[in-house]
Amino acid sequence: MSGPAEFAHLHVASSYSMRYGTAGPAMLAARARESGMPALALTDRDGLYGAVKHAAACRQAEISPILGVDLALRAGTPAARGGREALGVWDAPGGREAPRIRGALGIGGAPGIGEAPGTGGSGSSHRKPRGRRANPAAVPPRLANETAARVTLLALGEGGGPGESPAPGWASLCRLVSAAHQSGERGVPAITPDLVADHADGLVVLLGPASDVGRAIAARRPDRAAAALARWRERAETVIEIVDHHGPGDTGNAARMLRLAREVGVPAVLTNAVRYLEAADAPVAQVLDAARQLVPLGRRHLAGHNAQAYLKDSEQMARVAARVCGSGSCPGLRSCPGRCGDPAHQLLADTAALARQCSLSQADDLGIGRMHLPETAGDALAQLRQRCQAGLARRGLDSDRDAARRLDYELGIIARAGLASYFLTVADVAALISGRGIRCAIRGSGAGCLVNYLIGISGIDPLEHDLVMERFLSEGRKGLPDIDLDVESARRIEAYRAIIERYGEERCGCVSMMETYRARSAIRDAAAALGLPPHEIDAIAKAFGHIRARGIRRALADLPELRASNLAIPQLTSLFRIAERLDGLPRHIAMHPCGVVLSSATLLDRVPVERSADGLPLCQFDMDDVEAAGMIKLDVLGVRMQSAMAYALDEIERTRGERVDIDAISQDDKPTFEMISSGRTIGCFQIESPGQRELVTRLTPRGIGDLIVDISLFRPGPVNSDMITPYLDIKHQRRPPCYPHEDLTDPLGETGGVVIFHEQVLRVIDTMTGCGLSEAERRRRQLSDESAREDVRTWFGGAARARGYDHAIVARVWEVLEAFGAFGFCKAHAAAFAIPTYQSAWLKRHYPAAFYAGVLTHDPGMYPKRVITGDARLAGIRLLPVDVNASAGDWQVEPPESLRVGLREVKGISDAEVTRIIIGRPYASLRDFWRRAGVSRPVTERLVLVGALDSLYAGPGPRPTRRDLLARIGVLAGPARLVRARPGPSHAAPAISSGGSTERGPDQLALGSDQPALGPDQPALGPDQLALGPDASGRGDSGDGLARIVQVGELPELSAAERVEAELEILGIDVSRHVISFYEEMLRALGVVRAEHLHRCRSGTSVLVAGVKTSTQTPAVRSGQRVIFATLDDATGQMNLAFFESVQERCAARLFGSWLLVVRGRVRRPGRRMAPAQEGRAVSVNATECWDLAVLEEIRLSRGIRAVRAAMAAGDVPGAGIAAADRETAQPADRDAAHPADRGQRASGAVVYPTGFTLSPYAETGSSGGAMKDPPRKLWHASPGSSGGWISG
Amino acid sequence: MSRVYGERVEITARDNRPLRFVWRGRLYGVLAVLEHWVVSSQWWQRNNPDTGVPPEREFWRVEASPGGNIPPAVYELRRDAGTGDWLLVRVWD
Repeated sequence: MSGPAEFAHLHVASSYSMRYGTAGPAMLAARARESGMPALALTDRDGLYGAVKHAAACRQAEISPILGVDLALRAGTPAARGGREALGVWDAPGGREAPRIRGALGIGGAPGIGEAPGTGGSGSSHRKPRGRRANPAAVPPRLANETAARVTLLALGEGGGPGESPAPGWASLCRLVSAAHQSGERGVPAITPDLVADHADGLVVLLGPASDVGRAIAARRPDRAAAALARWRERAETVIEIVDHHGPGDTGNAARMLRLAREVGVPAVLTNAVRYLEAADAPVAQVLDAARQLVPLGRRHLAGHNAQAYLKDSEQMARVAARVCGSGSCPGLRSCPGRCGDPAHQLLADTAALARQCSLSQADDLGIGRMHLPETAGDALAQLRQRCQAGLARRGLDSDRDAARRLDYELGIIARAGLASYFLTVADVAALISGRGIRCAIRGSGAGCLVNYLIGISGIDPLEHDLVMERFLSEGRKGLPDIDLDVESARRIEAYRAIIERYGEERCGCVSMMETYRARSAIRDAAAALGLPPHEIDAIAKAFGHIRARGIRRALADLPELRASNLAIPQLTSLFRIAERLDGLPRHIAMHPCGVVLSSATLLDRVPVERSADGLPLCQFDMDDVEAAGMIKLDVLGVRMQSAMAYALDEIERTRGERVDIDAISQDDKPTFEMISSGRTIGCFQIESPGQRELVTRLTPRGIGDLIVDISLFRPGPVNSDMITPYLDIKHQRRPPCYPHEDLTDPLGETGGVVIFHEQVLRVIDTMTGCGLSEAERRRRQLSDESAREDVRTWFGGAARARGYDHAIVARVWEVLEAFGAFGFCKAHAAAFAIPTYQSAWLKRHYPAAFYAGVLTHDPGMYPKRVITGDARLAGIRLLPVDVNASAGDWQVEPPESLRVGLREVKGISDAEVTRIIIGRPYASLRDFWRRAGVSRPVTERLVLVGALDSLYAGPGPRPTRRDLLARIGVLAGPARLVRARPGPSHAAPAISSGGSTERGPDQLALGSDQPALGPDQPALGPDQLALGPDASGRGDSGDGLARIVQVGELPELSAAERVEAELEILGIDVSRHVISFYEEMLRALGVVRAEHLHRCRSGTSVLVAGVKTSTQTPAVRSGQRVIFATLDDATGQMNLAFFESVQERCAARLFGSWLLVVRGRVRRPGRRMAPAQEGRAVSVNATECWDLAVLEEIRLSRGIRAVRAAMAAGDVPGAGIAAADRETAQPADRDAAHPADRGQRASGAVVYPTGFTLSPYAETGSSGGAMKDPPRKLWHASPGSSGGWISG
Repeated sequence: MSRVYGERVEITARDNRPLRFVWRGRLYGVLAVLEHWVVSSQWWQRNNPDTGVPPEREFWRVEASPGGNIPPAVYELRRDAGTGDWLLVRVWD
């Protein structure tokens, strides 16, 4: 027996045990360190998601990491069955605890009044497990693991040595976890003892109270426990795990487990089965239990819960040991040398011994800190050099001396970093993707590397755009550089599959990411746990935008639209407090949107892998982990604009027979830049936002270089540091360029002395200090780190003065570096973005219909589709309605330049229905369509409502109205319902029994039999029944015979407004007319200024504007205020509005809650020094008041325009939003509003950057209102006199 | 048979371990502790639950006898850590 040893926890769940643990690995490691523990295990449930972070946290805390996993036993195996059979009594602790009592007194008893669940083993807690066992199919698969027995597996440390393979323990752990996920259903990982046996090398099995052995012990079946234990010992290294949470029955069970271990001669260790950091976190764990099990908090589901499963210190664990061992006689367990013979000593000593055996070394056991690249045959560097030489020739650079020099330089850095095979691998991947015809473009700093250009990874010549390599890869930088590839979003998975196919799953998988609790999800889970009704949960959760959970209560106080929402009531405070405590906890694993990991063939020995929903191999590590573990992570990002452009190019080819090579177009097309400079950039990549449209009109780009500047400038930093105005003044020659020193003319020349790019920061540092670009890049990175900045300053000052720059110059340059160093943008990145930006604009300018078809099909941008169609309409493109005989699934060009709405836009239509419609056409009539297209009734009705069948009746003579067609659908579908109802006598419809016969009349038969979705038991149509068809055709019914039942024109046609309302509801797009056209009369009466005329107004003029809200944004702005930017579309163009904090109190709720708005405000022109000619249309409105246009229209219709003006003046027009509706009753809101200090001030908790840039905590959080992409269901408020339904008859 | 009471009792304890208790005016001596466990209160049922450490309830199942010739029975005692109050929860006799 060894002397006293500090305790080490061997069974610890972190927050990476999803919806189970509450503490992050770093917190746990730090606490273990504080308690003086030598090591700490991380044994998360179901995976190794936190393993790399745990290893890093332990390194930080200077303790040894131990890694393991807690896995469920597959139900149905002998092992798990042992547990399940025990279930009948396992939560009746009181009864089983004291056999004497049971024997003498029986187990029955009245329901307990105490808090102890099942005290005395009484009825209610008893029944549930039994019911489950009787009906196992009733348990949803995800919950199957909730009742399963669980075991913990630990990896033994070996110090495997610096080889390619990690230690067997860690490799076995990875492979076992992968195998657990591979077997059975996705998302329900489970093991069997045999599966463990397959991967037993270097693993230790810990059998605790949750294991089959532990459950048998608790069920008082020592025979079964011994059998189960023997089963494990035959298969793997086995240890008994003693846990005593001091809950009902715990101590006795733990004592019996220990007795079993001693009898059989199996070592026993003590753990605390930790799942939270401290006792105060227990309620969070309880809420997670409820959320995981989909039940409200209640005693039955949280049997015997107490607050003991925290990271206890050595002292506390010694007390637990004493309690279990029934000793407690030795007063100083930790200081006693162990000669007192107390059995607790043995337990603690064995625990410490196992902890030592399982302690892992970062590098040797886990392989962290080394690179594991895919193998390349032969000399990688020679191959790379050869391919670069070939690239020089292919790109026409073979006689360019600058290029040759640059290439040599770059290859030198690559060779010294040992990264040649990395570049070959990425080039191979890029070629693989392009080879499949998938558009692929580089993104990010990799565009600055000539090698990337030469070997086909990048299409950007870094020499042409003066890009430097060091920003991407510099001398002495550790780790792998990032190369990001943008591919067509619609074919992203295809690209992944190609990569995985090429490299194999033993080398390649997708990177995962953790979705964590944010405000909405936290409120949902916490509220469900507290038992709130679902509809209330929904309403509360939706009131919050995309903010962090920890900021819920602060947001309630800070945001005007929430202040007005009636949520700040005491009854909900506790809910919010609990929800806040879920902040940031992982909820579930998801596929990272772009990460692919590549490694040598040992991937599965170092990374556990599960399956994504798409069936792709998904690593349990995230981006950072993968990098730390030394593997290539390649960002292959799906970009919708690439899909949109690919689609547009296909449409051009389809309609014109020409294939445009968009990658080879001239890069200085004048018409394209004229279009960009006029701000007509909706739909274009990167430059379509309201702010960007304003910026491009001021910047008036004339070449790719200008676009690079534009993209770099449109960032919070530059915008708010007001770098834009000085730059534009110089660019437009209103001011001479100005350089801090003449030596800086070269690095800053391209922007007239203004620092915009990271590359310029590098060159400035290099010029002033002569340190070289690699060192300059290292220093630049330090600039964004506040603690390191002072060091950089000292170094820079010294080095620059040593080269003869005087004090004043150094100070001035430093000022510039400090201010803009952190805000600058990587020029290579901007250049990589500028190419697709230009390409999309070029397509819009030269092939507008194809461009819009691509954009509408793949929806790449920020605007709702109806804004894109509105823009198309302004560009002279005709919009053609959905047509079952003409529409494809997606948007199509109809020559010369019209756009046909795609079938997929119809709400609720399935892909199968789209396919059947297209295969079955042409259709001659509604009946024909109904019979052959196999489209459900609601979708058919929607198609009729948006006019998709109008063309079937386009012939001469009267045509049925859409209401007629709807009624005919009713006829077509009606009898089918009767037929379906026939088997159930109680549902027999009276119509059938007319005449006392179940025979159907001829009409019913003929109509009913066409129903597409009938079952096989339908009688076939007789010839006489068909006679009602074509032969009976009357005028205007296209031969479907239905005119006899619903005559042409029997029902009135939809009004123009009803058509648009139907279009908006069904397609989300006003196809036939712009919505705002219905309000023209009122807009005229109110004197509303239209978007096309707004630029004529002087700055400062008070105006009324109106339109459809098309976007709201709350970007970061300089003052730290939360400014809401909104755009309105009034059919003549888009208008930009700004709502400052001073007006949000009265406007925010209505702004977020309404779709159609009238806004009063003052005209503002940015860039005050600009001449109007250059100013272009850059104009916006600072809003002061807003109203709901639809509500005002109602007032006008009922009471006239005067009443509207009066209502607007009174300012008491309620909005349409829920929030505003509750305004009158919102007591807490009024209370809050009584704090004037809160109003018009910056929101509390503003983030202040060292440069003085202040950020509202609510920047970029979006609106709490409904999704901007969908118009509301009801556009026009129902008012007396308007037609209520579609069919008035 | 067990009976449920839920009545206040006076306890004499050492290191929080019950030694004797007075129930309905009668003094019972604790002969043996059969079981001892801790359960958190149902914090979510309160109007304004405090989300810190939930108050715990400590249960003691003991063998006790009022002395004389009366054979010992099993008594379950509960201590509310928040208030320090003791309750006799149930009795098996």
